[in-house]
Amino acid sequence: MAHKPYISRRQFLKMSAMAGGAAFLAACAPKAAAPGGAALPDLASGNNIPMDQLIAAAKTEGTLTTIALPHDWANYGEIISTYKTKYGLAINELNPDAGSADELQAIEANKDSKGPQAPDVVDVGISYPAQAMQKGLLAKYKLSTFDTIPLKDPDGYWYAEYYGVLSFEVAKPAIANTPQDWEDLLKPEYKGKVAMAGDVLKSNEAVQTVLAAGLSRSGGDLAKAPEMGLQFWKEMNDAGNFIPVIADQGRIAQGETPLTMEWDYLSLANRDKLAGNPEIEIVIPKTGVLAGPYAGAISAYAPHPYAARLWWEFVFSDEGQNLYLKGYAHPIRFNDMVKRGVVPQAMLDKLPPAEAYAKALFPSVDELNTAKTYITENWRKVVFGE
Amino acid sequence: MKRRVNIWAWIIFLIGIIYFFLPLFSTFEFSMRMIKGRYTFEAYREAFTDPEFFVNFGYSLMWSILTIIISLLLVVPTAYWVHWRMRRARALVEFITLMPFVVPAVVLVFGMSRLFGGGLKLFGHSILVLTPTPIPLIAGYVVLSFPYMYRAVDTGLRAIDVRTLTEAALSLGAGWRTIITQVIFPNLRVAILSGVFLTFAIVMGEFTFASLLSWPAFGPYMEEIGSMRAYTPQALAVVSFLLTWGSIGLINWVGRGAPGQQQVAGAH
Amino acid sequence: MSLIKSPPTVSSKTSEKPVAVPSTRESPWDWLGLLPFLLFAFLFLFAPSASIFVNSFQDLSGHFTLSNLAAILTERDFLNAYKASLSISFITAAGGAIFGFLLAYAVVMGGLPNSLRTFLLTFSGVASNFAGVPLAFAFIATMGNAGLVTGWIETILGVDIHAQGFTIYNIWGLSIVYMYFQFPLMVLIMAPALDGLRREWKEACENLGGTSMQYWRYVAFPILMPSLLGTTILLFGNAFGAYATAYAFSGSFINLVTIVIGAQLQGDVLFNPGLGNALALGMIVIMTLCMLGYLYMQRISARWVR
Repeated sequence: MAHKPYISRRQFLKMSAMAGGAAFLAACAPKAAAPGGAALPDLASGNNIPMDQLIAAAKTEGTLTTIALPHDWANYGEIISTYKTKYGLAINELNPDAGSADELQAIEANKDSKGPQAPDVVDVGISYPAQAMQKGLLAKYKLSTFDTIPLKDPDGYWYAEYYGVLSFEVAKPAIANTPQDWEDLLKPEYKGKVAMAGDVLKSNEAVQTVLAAGLSRSGGDLAKAPEMGLQFWKEMNDAGNFIPVIADQGRIAQGETPLTMEWDYLSLANRDKLAGNPEIEIVIPKTGVLAGPYAGAISAYAPHPYAARLWWEFVFSDEGQNLYLKGYAHPIRFNDMVKRGVVPQAMLDKLPPAEAYAKALFPSVDELNTAKTYITENWRKVVFGE
Repeated sequence: MKRRVNIWAWIIFLIGIIYFFLPLFSTFEFSMRMIKGRYTFEAYREAFTDPEFFVNFGYSLMWSILTIIISLLLVVPTAYWVHWRMRRARALVEFITLMPFVVPAVVLVFGMSRLFGGGLKLFGHSILVLTPTPIPLIAGYVVLSFPYMYRAVDTGLRAIDVRTLTEAALSLGAGWRTIITQVIFPNLRVAILSGVFLTFAIVMGEFTFASLLSWPAFGPYMEEIGSMRAYTPQALAVVSFLLTWGSIGLINWVGRGAPGQQQVAGAH
Repeated sequence: MSLIKSPPTVSSKTSEKPVAVPSTRESPWDWLGLLPFLLFAFLFLFAPSASIFVNSFQDLSGHFTLSNLAAILTERDFLNAYKASLSISFITAAGGAIFGFLLAYAVVMGGLPNSLRTFLLTFSGVASNFAGVPLAFAFIATMGNAGLVTGWIETILGVDIHAQGFTIYNIWGLSIVYMYFQFPLMVLIMAPALDGLRREWKEACENLGGTSMQYWRYVAFPILMPSLLGTTILLFGNAFGAYATAYAFSGSFINLVTIVIGAQLQGDVLFNPGLGNALALGMIVIMTLCMLGYLYMQRISARWVR
């Protein structure tokens, strides 16, 4: 029989069909099969997964999708790049300007999509996880360092990652005498010079600014603080010291808002970035020191659940927490880490003196919510008299 | 008849120029202050040496081109159809094209991300799950471009009396392809260009859609730089103003002497 | 009955159409030509907008409620927001219309060189889109507490205007900022309308012995009025819907509807999308009325142009 060098048409079609069928079956196969055939670790129970299994599982996913992590905020830039190099995963960074509400919105809007727009992990204001849990948007997981985290959900739905305290960010030489405490801000020399770094109705930081001022006035009484805080800002507005414009780096540099209040990690980062043009002095007020933690959580609809859990393992490890410190944010496990001596002295030296933080108050989530509601509902009425 | 030179016209023009240029000058002056003690273009250098600048600019460029193509494909035939066959639908179509002015962008985006993120269900399964793709973004941009594109093309069509031209061409035996390519399009060239450049300017600077749908674009990039830096964002603002002005100047130069030059621009 | 076929007469009822031209008779199939456009608009404009409409009637847990609508109609905060938005829209529409018209007149009919006309029109194309953070900064850098012009006035005239109580951080200050995109919009729309004022009319008026004043009062303004009013309405809607600029300027410290909507839908503090959407619905109603007014005015003015 003559040797046929070419595949007959029928044979070719058969082969393509088989190849196509195989590809189709492979695509349809449940993604849960890890290389080597072992089943992937259980997610539903929320139990801790040993690191080597977690890393292997994350590697099969290959990517992590984050949202609302500006690189300059608490050194997230370095945290992201370290995670990428350490575990060989890619990170898909969504919308760095998103607010906490936007992040939850992103989870909800992408519930069924599993595409690149669905975030795996979120970093939100401390009062947000409660709402998110109500809507079933979060997944629980017990980290290896879970017990050393002082502020968290007991089941592991969220954990506070870092905190800062409100500080005064003072531009020199526009401000000759640096204020040391909240009441100083009312002095006539600061007329037309004090601004908030956010909008009271939108920014957690701005609400805390009101609360901290109130805390200073009420001598630490959190219950009276919202009311007294509003009163303080009313006096600031009447005196003309408070200018109703939102401060940002450009306006600070330009001189329009030489005195503003921001989380210390942001103020310190700004000082570094402005590099002396203008000079920035950071002061932690003597009274009314309010700590503002941010909470991290995993999306219940995360397209890459293992990479998500690995992310938090990293962020809450000593290495990850020290990276926050490098960005001037106090990691939540700070006290535990200092006790064990794993915090480099050089880093500690770059922060404002520890005594300033000794009086930092950590309101509970409920206290925060009550304060937030009171302040936002009465802000315009009290301060602007509308 | 010689035009009398009106002194009031000059005064008004001068007042206008002062009003428009002072803020620009303040921005420019500030952008030059990056290094303490002297004026320098450092902020501009920093703006242009950031690799993210080119990445995001490139993405926005891509979004604009896609938007322009889809918008043209939708708007030009529709406008033509309205002019030639469906005069009675004109009011409806005009109203639809003005609706993007009416609905706030943030609201439209939220609506789209709910609807196309798995919110539409048919027999229990989500259909039209578009959020993993840039389709909602481009669709949103096309919707935003409707007022300008349609108005530009509509004005152009009005200026050239579509019916007469079409019927003349048909009665001379021209086929549809000839009519579209050799009769209508050449006359609409300026109008289309006008719509194209306005759409380009809008998409390049757009922020809300890109930010909330989490796609890289120049608008969110400018916003991010604005929150992270002091001097560079102002340099960027000056640059983008000049670039946009340049493009619009270009279209005016290209379209000089052609019929139908009315432009509309817009809402923020 | 004639066996000779008579040629169709002019008065014949059935109109014979010439062979080469397709029927211009209206048919429902004509709507098919609009189908792509209508489908697109439905999917990506009406459907998302409708979901807002629906969401305004939902509370935080998704149940039906009228409380959101009740809130926007009764709560003082929201009523104040609408009041402020309406007033700033009115101020900037009127101001923008007047000065914008004067500018358009100056370059079209004021005897200025043609190059200045091109300059102003192209500049207006950009300026009408210049908004948000850069615009806010530009004005703060000019007229703010540490602004350039503030500094000049202090150096040259020795007057600290801010000490005298001047501030740009209120409705009037924001209005000045809004004018930056209102003036150009007026110029862009009125310049062609002024072009449409035929020279013959002016000449005819003069021939009949009319003065310039009479020309404007009895000929030009009546013709221009629909365009003027229509564009003013457009400016009104434009200002009402402005968000980016107002927010960049002073956040929610100035109480405007768009700002309140933003605060309810985004941000770290408030979060009541149903309420935000109810506010948006109110805004959409107002804006739709503006648009309808504008379209109506355009229809009337189209009588004279072409």
